Amino acid sequence: MKKLTTTILTVALALCSVFAQGSSEQQKSSSKLKVALILPGKSDDVSFNQAMYRGMTEYQKKHSSEIDLKVVEGVYDVADIEPALIEYADAGYDVIIGHGFQFSDPVLKVSKMYPKTAFLLGCGMYDNTNMTRYDVQLEAGGYLMGVVAAYATKADKVGVIGGGMGSEITRGHEGFKAGVKSVNPAIEIQEVYTGDWNDTAGAYEAAVGMYDSGVDVIWHSGDGIGLGVVNAAVAKDKYVLGNVEDQRSLAPKNVLSGLQYEWANALETIFSTIKDGSFFTESKEKCVMINVANGGLSMTAINDPKGYLSEDAKAAIATVLAKLGKNEVALPEV
Amino acid sequence: MADSTILAFFISLLAGTVRLATPILLPALGQIYTQRAGILNLGTEGTMLMGAVCGFTVASVTGSLWLGMAAGIMAGVAYSLIMAWLSVTMRANQVVAGIGMNILSTGLAVYIYRLVFGIRTLPPSVVPFPTVEIPVLSKIPVLGTILFSHNIIVYLTYVLVLPFSWFVLEKTTFGLKIKAVGENPRAADSKGINVGLVRYLSVLIGGAYAGAGGAFMTIAYMNTFTEKIIGGFGFIAVSVVIFARFKPINAMFGALLFGMAQALQLRLQAQGVGIPSQFLLMMPYIMTIIALVIASKKAEFPSAYTIPYSRMER
Repeated sequence: MKKLTTTILTVALALCSVFAQGSSEQQKSSSKLKVALILPGKSDDVSFNQAMYRGMTEYQKKHSSEIDLKVVEGVYDVADIEPALIEYADAGYDVIIGHGFQFSDPVLKVSKMYPKTAFLLGCGMYDNTNMTRYDVQLEAGGYLMGVVAAYATKADKVGVIGGGMGSEITRGHEGFKAGVKSVNPAIEIQEVYTGDWNDTAGAYEAAVGMYDSGVDVIWHSGDGIGLGVVNAAVAKDKYVLGNVEDQRSLAPKNVLSGLQYEWANALETIFSTIKDGSFFTESKEKCVMINVANGGLSMTAINDPKGYLSEDAKAAIATVLAKLGKNEVALPEV
Repeated sequence: MADSTILAFFISLLAGTVRLATPILLPALGQIYTQRAGILNLGTEGTMLMGAVCGFTVASVTGSLWLGMAAGIMAGVAYSLIMAWLSVTMRANQVVAGIGMNILSTGLAVYIYRLVFGIRTLPPSVVPFPTVEIPVLSKIPVLGTILFSHNIIVYLTYVLVLPFSWFVLEKTTFGLKIKAVGENPRAADSKGINVGLVRYLSVLIGGAYAGAGGAFMTIAYMNTFTEKIIGGFGFIAVSVVIFARFKPINAMFGALLFGMAQALQLRLQAQGVGIPSQFLLMMPYIMTIIALVIASKKAEFPSAYTIPYSRMER
C-alpha cells in the first residue's frame, strides 16, 4: 500500500511539472480574437523563436483591441505538440499558431478535428481549408550567406551547421552551397546537422571541430544551436554568420553578418484574411512566403573587424542582394 | 586529406573527446557512490539540469563562477534529496522515481530560469571559465593541445576529483560501508551500519557530482542556459557506471569512449564522409548499447541493486 502511495505521488509530481511549464498568461475577453502562439524553443533564442515572438507581440500591441495573445514556449517534441494543440482548440482559442517544421503533422491532424479554428503553421508542409502556412525563402538567404562566406574566407574553407534536416533548413543549406560555389567552386564546404534544433552543446562541438580544421566562416541556420556556434566562434576567434535575428550583440567581434526575418507583413496578410473570412476558403493563398523581394528577409549590416571583406567584395554582395530582391538568381530546387 | 589536415583532425577530435568526457565523468563518478550503495538514480539527467540552471543563475547574479559552481553542487544535493527520500525512506520503485525526477526537472529548471531572468531580447550569459594553457606542457606539440589547453574544471575533474573518488570508494571505511549496504544491507545493519544514512549520503554525493557536471555545462563548457543543455549526458553517465563495472578508473575510460563517439560523429559529418547525418547521430547511442551488452555480462552488480531495504521484512 505504501508502495502504491509513493508511485502515485511520483506520477503526480511528474504531472505537476508538465503543467508548470513556462507560459505567459494574458487577460481574456470574449470579443477579442484569442490567439495561441506555440513555440518549440525559447522566446529569447535570438533566432527562430524570438523573431516570431517579436513579430506576434508587435502585431498584438498594434491591434491590442482585437487580439488576445497567449505564448507557450518549449513545446518541442512531436508527442507534446498534438495534446497542446487540442488543449488550446478545446479552450476556445480562435487562432492557433504552430511555429516550426515538426508541427506539420499535428497541425494537419488537429485542424481536421476543429474545422472552425484557424491554424497557422510556420515553415511546415501540408495544406487544409482552415490552415495557412507561413514560410521563409531560406534558399535565397542561404545563397546570400554563401556568397558572403565565400568572399570572407581566407582559408577557402567554410562551414554550415543546421538543426534538423528538412523543410526550410535543408533549402537554406542547399542555397548556401550554391552561393559559395557561385563565387569560387574550389572552396571546401563542411556541413553538419546536429539532429536537434536545441542541441546547443552539440552545435558548439561541431563548430569547434570545423574551426580547428581550418574553416574560418560558419553560417548556422538558427535556433538554440545558433548560440552554440556563436560561442565557438568567440572561443576560437573566428567568424560566424547569424540567422533569423541580428546576432551581432551576442559577439560583436565575431558575428560578420546574418539574416533577419520579419514576420510582421506576413502576419498582417494572414490575420486580414482571418478577419474577412477568406481564411476558411480554398481559394486563399495557402502559403505566405517572406523573401528578399517583399522585405521579410534581409541581411544585417556587415561587421568586419578582421577586415576580411574588400570593398569590391562588399559591392559584389550588395549586387547579389539586389538581384535576389528581383528574383533574378537561379536558386536550387529541393 | 593531406597529412597535416589529418593530424589537425585528430588533435581537434581528441581535444574534443577530453572536453566532452568531463560532463560524463563527473556525474558517472558520483553515480558510482550511489549505485554501489544499491540505488539506481535514473534522475541523474534531471539532477544535472538543476545544477546547470542554479549554477548559471548564481554565477550570473553574483558574477562569481566559483559561487556558481558551488550553487550547482548544492542544487544537485538538494534535488537528489527528493530521490533519496523516495528510494530510501519511501522505498519507491527506483526506475519510476528516477523518470519522475527527470520530468519534474524539465519544468522546474525552465520555471526557475524564467522566474529569475524573464524574457529578454538578448539571453543572459556569463563569461565562462577561461582556457588555462598549462605553462611548458601546453607547448608540447600535439599532446599540449589535446591535454593541456582546457578550462580549470576539466583539469580538476581528472587530477583531483577522479583520484579523490577512487580513494574514498576503495580505501576508506566509508567506501566499504557503501559497498556493504549495496551488497548485503541486512548483514551491514547487523554490524551496526546505519543502512538508511549511508544510502542517503550515497545518493546526495551522487547529486553533488551531477550538480557539478550540470554547472560545468552552463558556466564552463558553454556560457548560457538552454533547456536541452545536458543533452543526454546524465543518461550516458548512468550507463558508463555499469560499463565501468562500478570502478572509478574504468569510468574515466568509459567517459572518454563516449566523449569520443560524440566528438567523432559531429566531425565526420563535417568532413562529408558520405554517411547519412542521421546515421552518424545514432553512433554514440549505438555504442552505448553495444558497450552495455558487452560490459554488463561481466559487470557484477551489487546484490541489493535497486532493492529497498527494510528491517521489518525478510
